[in-house]
Amino acid sequence: MTWLGALTLLLFVGVMVLTLLRKINMPVQTVLVITTLVILALGAAHRAVFDGLPAVLAMPNEAMGWIILHPITALLAGLFMAGALQISGGFEAFKVLIMALQRVPIIGLAGTLVILIQVPMIASLPCGRIIAAALLPLLFAFSAEGGMNVLTRTQMIVLIGAFSRNAFGSCGPSPIGGVGQIGEGFLGAHFDAAAAGMLRAPQAFALMLGTAVTALFLKFITQRLYPDDVTLRDRIADTEMAGRKVEPPKATLVGYASLVIFVFALLASVFELFGKLPVQTVLAGAAVLIVIISRAGIRDLMAGIILLPVAAMIAGFLAAGALAATGGFDALGVVLSALSKFPLLGVAGMLAIFVQIQTILPLSCSRILTAALVPVLYQFGPAGFNFITWDQLAIAMAAYIINATTSCGPSPLGGGGMMGEGQMRAESGYIKGAYVFTSMAVMAPLAALYMRFANLGLFRSQSEMFYPSASDMLQLALYAAVVVVATIVGTLFIGRKASISIASGQRWQRVGFLALGAFAGAVLSFSLYGLAGLEIMQGAVGGALAALVISLMVPSRLTPAPREAKS
Amino acid sequence: MASQKKDKPEHKRDRLQQPLVMPGIHRYQFFSDISDRPLTKNLNRAAMLAIGTALAVDALKPLIGGVPQTLYCYECRACYGTQDRCPVGIGLQAELTVSARVADYERFLRAGGLKCVRCGNCRSFCVVNLDLPRIYSTMQQRTIAAMQRGAIRRQAIQHAYDDGLVGRQFIDRVAQWLEQESG
Ligand code: SF4
Ligand code: SF4
Repeated sequence: MTWLGALTLLLFVGVMVLTLLRKINMPVQTVLVITTLVILALGAAHRAVFDGLPAVLAMPNEAMGWIILHPITALLAGLFMAGALQISGGFEAFKVLIMALQRVPIIGLAGTLVILIQVPMIASLPCGRIIAAALLPLLFAFSAEGGMNVLTRTQMIVLIGAFSRNAFGSCGPSPIGGVGQIGEGFLGAHFDAAAAGMLRAPQAFALMLGTAVTALFLKFITQRLYPDDVTLRDRIADTEMAGRKVEPPKATLVGYASLVIFVFALLASVFELFGKLPVQTVLAGAAVLIVIISRAGIRDLMAGIILLPVAAMIAGFLAAGALAATGGFDALGVVLSALSKFPLLGVAGMLAIFVQIQTILPLSCSRILTAALVPVLYQFGPAGFNFITWDQLAIAMAAYIINATTSCGPSPLGGGGMMGEGQMRAESGYIKGAYVFTSMAVMAPLAALYMRFANLGLFRSQSEMFYPSASDMLQLALYAAVVVVATIVGTLFIGRKASISIASGQRWQRVGFLALGAFAGAVLSFSLYGLAGLEIMQGAVGGALAALVISLMVPSRLTPAPREAKS
Repeated sequence: MASQKKDKPEHKRDRLQQPLVMPGIHRYQFFSDISDRPLTKNLNRAAMLAIGTALAVDALKPLIGGVPQTLYCYECRACYGTQDRCPVGIGLQAELTVSARVADYERFLRAGGLKCVRCGNCRSFCVVNLDLPRIYSTMQQRTIAAMQRGAIRRQAIQHAYDDGLVGRQFIDRVAQWLEQESG
């Protein structure tokens, strides 16, 4: 590790923490750009002295290599599609269909909502922003402000929050460019069939259950801790509505046609009906078609394109690029290896922290850190330091990847969750607690358990034709149930404390994070090492440490404290 | 005074001058709240300009560099699945694709770009079916040209040479250049 790498890493983390704690009161993209410039200047000075001019001149290219165009274009394509649907009346058509669907007895409103929440994972697009940008305005339609007036304020918060949670994790298991494929590529060095989707099922399993726990957390804790930070109106009571004349949603033929085109474009992307085409191309093409049939003007469409999260995202990429160019990520790898030398942590404790890194440091797109950290994790395996076996590497990778892919949800740096917060009219940071809690306590351990008991044998060798035995599946169900029940009990308990007072809820939320973080670390170690007392203890210590940092990053209030209170 | 207080919105989210985050929805988060920081307005504008420039350069570079397809790369790294089907043992194909996009020659060298024999085996692993051999071929030519005009650090080329990261097709030119440089 060079001193420069350590310094730039420290600088980046320090500035981000200060911004998150609102000690630096500037827009995040400005902070990030300044940080990038400072890091690049430090790097340039170092290179000028030690490596010469060509090395200095190469720096901007190195930093720019970290701008990942895909999530940026994905978001723009999603917004473009949303704008097209809005103008053509596609959303109205959707409302009519939803009204009809909720009248089907076996589905009802609850069934309809559950299906909607899981739509992103079913679609599994390579960036959740696409579907979120297109469907979030639709979900809003269920509220009083949105016109359908079928859901209460709490139900809307849960619906939008859970949908966003699902969307901003769905890039993980996506078979068409998902983030999990980074891990699968590396695991392919040992598991021949890894590229066929070794990490996909563990991620989908963890995301599905994690979404449900997120919904509970939002309902029982978030709402109580931030009671005034959402401006959604409550549902207008039927008695009040009785006198009013409410127009039922009406859809035009063009609206239905645009909805059909949208669904077809989604299916074409997921099932590659036109071959391997970038999903943005398919969606943009479909949006253009919708614009043509609805004869919309280009100005109407451009109104839907928003630049703020995109700008924050690009600034985040640039800062990460500057960090990489100056050895900041190498420094992180060295720090992690050093952690494993502490007896209280060992390799198990270090891994328990490692799998949570992206939840600790949520950036605008999980790909930024995943691309840098998966090779580090790979190095811990037999191909590098030999800390863990191939099987253990696969288990740790499953836990790490789901935690990583869900990290753009709680990111305040242009992360996807901001879209959910915007849609539910909430202050920024509103959903952070729920999202980081479920990534840490539910999803990472569940993915590890799934890999250990159901998936590992299946992919261990292509020729073995292994299928998980009934006892393996039973064990998986049992341990997964333990994890889920523990987090539900924890959530309900903290919720009760939060209903007494906000301060007591916040105190207990921190305790809950610590306890369930330790539990998650222990479960991860159990998945890796089986019933080994020392490793389980080390995993619990590592998990608790990670949880402590994560809980400190959850804001205790979302609006600045009133001046009078400060003085 | 009292009326002023009354006019003052309680929450930032009530201020409609905030930037739009989605159609019809205003952003009121504490980082990007524009009304809070009149003193830094120009700084913020400069930052936005820098971001816009970086994005424009990033998008234009591959077009000018003759590798427009790299714009479509998801950076999903599914191509790492090629593993030992790559005859020269390149393990990190996406590194080659990304370095070609931004013309980062050293990153290309480090990932073994000059070893690639353009067999196309990795192509079937690419989720968007990019013409990877063609991209790598273009980047190989650009890397050699950059080397000859002194745009790459000598140590980086020496390392690639010493570590066996230069393929047969380029080894003579690289060796000759290194000799010239040391002479
Ligand atoms: S085209 Fe190049 S990188 Fe791809 S498999 Fe062939 S030699 Fe390897
Ligand atoms: S598989 Fe294709 S799209 Fe994905 S990283 Fe590799 S080159 Fe890019």
